[in-house]
Amino acid sequence: MLKVDGISRSYGDLKVVDQLSFTVNEGEFVALLGPSGCGKSTSLKMIAGLEVPDEGSIHLDGRDITQLSPGDRKLAMVFQSYALFPHLKVEENILFGLQARKVPKNEQKKRLDSVVELVGLGDHLQKKPGQLSGGQCQRVALARAIVAQAKLCLMDEPLSNLDAKLRNEMRTEIRALQQRLGMSVIYVTHDQVEAMSMADRIVLMNDGKVEQVDVPEALYSKPKTIFTAQFIGSPPMNIIGSGEDCRGIRPEHIEISEHGMPASVVSCDYHGADTIVLADVSAMGEDQKLIKIRYPGHAMFAPQQRLAVRWAPENEHTFLI
Amino acid sequence: MSSWFQTFSKVSAYLLGILWVLPLLYAFWAAFHPPEFATKFSLTAPLTLENFESAWDQAPFFRYMLNTIVITSLILASQLFLCTLAGYALAREKFAGRGFAFALVLTQLMVMPEVLIVENYRTLAGLDLIDTYLGVGLPYLASAFGIFLLRQTFKTVPQELEDAARVEGLSGLGIIWKVFVPLAFPTYLAFSLVSVSYHWNNFLWPLVVTNTEASRPLTVGMAIFGAPESGVDWSVISAGTLIAIGPLLILFLIFQRRFIQSFMHAGIK
Repeated sequence: MLKVDGISRSYGDLKVVDQLSFTVNEGEFVALLGPSGCGKSTSLKMIAGLEVPDEGSIHLDGRDITQLSPGDRKLAMVFQSYALFPHLKVEENILFGLQARKVPKNEQKKRLDSVVELVGLGDHLQKKPGQLSGGQCQRVALARAIVAQAKLCLMDEPLSNLDAKLRNEMRTEIRALQQRLGMSVIYVTHDQVEAMSMADRIVLMNDGKVEQVDVPEALYSKPKTIFTAQFIGSPPMNIIGSGEDCRGIRPEHIEISEHGMPASVVSCDYHGADTIVLADVSAMGEDQKLIKIRYPGHAMFAPQQRLAVRWAPENEHTFLI
Repeated sequence: MSSWFQTFSKVSAYLLGILWVLPLLYAFWAAFHPPEFATKFSLTAPLTLENFESAWDQAPFFRYMLNTIVITSLILASQLFLCTLAGYALAREKFAGRGFAFALVLTQLMVMPEVLIVENYRTLAGLDLIDTYLGVGLPYLASAFGIFLLRQTFKTVPQELEDAARVEGLSGLGIIWKVFVPLAFPTYLAFSLVSVSYHWNNFLWPLVVTNTEASRPLTVGMAIFGAPESGVDWSVISAGTLIAIGPLLILFLIFQRRFIQSFMHAGIK
């Protein structure tokens, strides 16, 4: 449905987005994931029309929208700061776009009623955004995006201003809404948990370039690059060796046993369900000396304690260099 | 020490306030009492409205008032319109020479309008606008102060709000009207108050450029009315003054709270 083809954007000498290409299918939830400053927000702005790409093209339903103004693209967008108009009531905020596009009054009313029920804002329609909590503001922003019935909804880190508990709730809620309404969504985030738990597919970006485009499971279990391996997963994948001989192994795949490679404990980090053991494996002649091991349950190894570690060969990853 | 200082500043504030309001109090006293009490204070002095009647009869106050209202409204409407567009352009549009244009506007803030009276008169005479509403208003139709003020306010409007409005399908002018103007409302109110009170009270330029009742505003009318050659009758002059300042005074008393809030909000002192 949406086809982004080799778009780039530079600010002066700095290339923020470099030859980005990906597609979004009808009803699909695609996450643009990457560390801060990797160009994901700029990419979203180019799709929205708020920025113009230096090169490349963007097609929506077969139509070239690369040079179209934001309003003519008829997309919906949820902003990080919610971007609610403080001088308008909740109701007017939700209907802002419909009024701007001169949708008939009775149609507006109908859509407002159904969307208000979807996001649960019934009691707050006459309030101003200043009187709402962060979570409620988030719902208004969401309602404004849904009510437009746009082909594609763009979300720019919509949950980053909420506290952890609310963030988890809204995550589930947004995903449920998206599936119920069959919305196509591009969701920008730097939080891998959000991307992994919500998205159908993830576009992982680094330094303005696409690192890997895949479904969440594949991104985790078959990372193609070292960057992907170390970005996805917490704690990140251990990389041992270097150059051609570089291999990766997830902390949960390392077993502490009687036989195996010698390692000595550096520290233990107790997380409740498991313990992250930081161990020094330089004794086995590796360049990368420290590895992290996810040990189920509560383990208290004394620093300097000698251990033996091993892992199944099929859990070892190799990368394209 | 600090409580002593607080008492001192409070007393000073009251003193200054009383000093400031004295002429106004005197005008009220003189206007509502017969002429023989103009310079004599007595609690038993009879109240009268005769001074207002004779002032109203002696000079075309109604016409002057109308002129002032038309001129002030014309200037205010045009200032709000032009300053909004200029302020938006200087705050948000990226164009070559923006910094220079803004510097020019700031420079204009430093030029005393009185310096330009002769040149302005010549220009207006060339345009054949002497003794017209437009003639009185033309030099003030745009305001550097207004442009500066609105630019600063518009700069504080979050970019994401503007982006949201654009995504929702609003045009450039639509965004100014539906997003920037409502958000800057306190600034508009504060600026309007400054502008109206300045132009309502403006004297020198209208005196120069008006010749007849057709365009003469209250201030000039009052000056002619109270000129020494027509004999100084303080009671009648006071009554005339009250007629002239009445509308503004009433407006201010009604909206006092609102105005002061706006000033705090807009950061003008």
